[in-house]
Amino acid sequence: MRTDWNDYEWKLLRDGPQSPQMHMALDEALTYAVGSGKRPPTLRIWEWGSPAVVIGRYQSVRNEVDPENLGRYGFEVVRRISGGGAMFIEPGNTITYSLYAPQELVQGMSFQESYAFMDVWVLQALKSLGIEASYQPINDITSPGGKIAGAAQTRRGGAVLHHVTMAYDIDAAKMTQVLRIGREKLSDKGQTSAQKRVDPLRSQTGLPRAEVIDRMVGTFAELHPSQPDKLGEEELEAARELVKTKFGTKEWIYIIP
Amino acid sequence: MHGEYKTPGGKLVVVDLEVRDGKLRQVQVSGDFFLEPEETLDAINRALEGLSADSDEPSIAESVRRVTEGAELIGFSPEAIAVAVRRALA
Repeated sequence: MRTDWNDYEWKLLRDGPQSPQMHMALDEALTYAVGSGKRPPTLRIWEWGSPAVVIGRYQSVRNEVDPENLGRYGFEVVRRISGGGAMFIEPGNTITYSLYAPQELVQGMSFQESYAFMDVWVLQALKSLGIEASYQPINDITSPGGKIAGAAQTRRGGAVLHHVTMAYDIDAAKMTQVLRIGREKLSDKGQTSAQKRVDPLRSQTGLPRAEVIDRMVGTFAELHPSQPDKLGEEELEAARELVKTKFGTKEWIYIIP
Repeated sequence: MHGEYKTPGGKLVVVDLEVRDGKLRQVQVSGDFFLEPEETLDAINRALEGLSADSDEPSIAESVRRVTEGAELIGFSPEAIAVAVRRALA
């Protein structure tokens, strides 16, 4: 049977910066922890420790990044467990979050429906900041000024992972040097996912990044029963182990070279 | 050899392959699509491996469809993969 947001007491995680590989690992570890019932459903706000290109589970490294510029600007490539497109990350320039929930929350929904469903609270938070945000299928959050965010989902171990990267500020020139954008990708709408006219939250709100996050977390907490939380040592250890055995290995990052 | 196809309103499918003795070899499908479960990608690559380089789009799509029954393909389709394969061969 399908459950509702308010059938759960949500945990809110807003910890300090982690390395890109640790973020990939935490997403897997926490998804399985929520799926097995070890951890209640959780909203996690990410802080990035260093620059990265995060590619989707099914993307080819050489199709997505320019290796020379990647090194020159100090970026690393990490691969996440969900599908979707490449994300260009510099600390302080994006707002990234994950939701981990029992799969029952999206039971019977199509993927398209569940993307919009998992971000209803975000649209509400953005509207409270004066942004007329809407969902653009399959997985974009957009506004009259341009694209704001891209989402990705995967369903594992009885849980759904929904994570989103929003543009807070963006160095578009650097992005186009680090990411490779093919012509075919531009074929149907003139722009690729990463390059669609992005209208970042900084220029749209005029607010510091932390205040935008405060509003998002505040909106979530108003809508759904929730409690602040910290990552447990056991969870951090599980994630460190996953960095060693999976997310930090060439076998995973270059699983599609 | 390299082919790409973007489903209008959907996602990009990329195919890299070689042709040896008239057959597809070292086929690798990639892209910014969504696919569950993740193992399905290996099954798709295997289904394309060894197909005749003369195969037409419908028969390529049929080979893919046989191994994607029960899987969820979001933003692309067996037909989209077939177009990318044909473009790689063109």
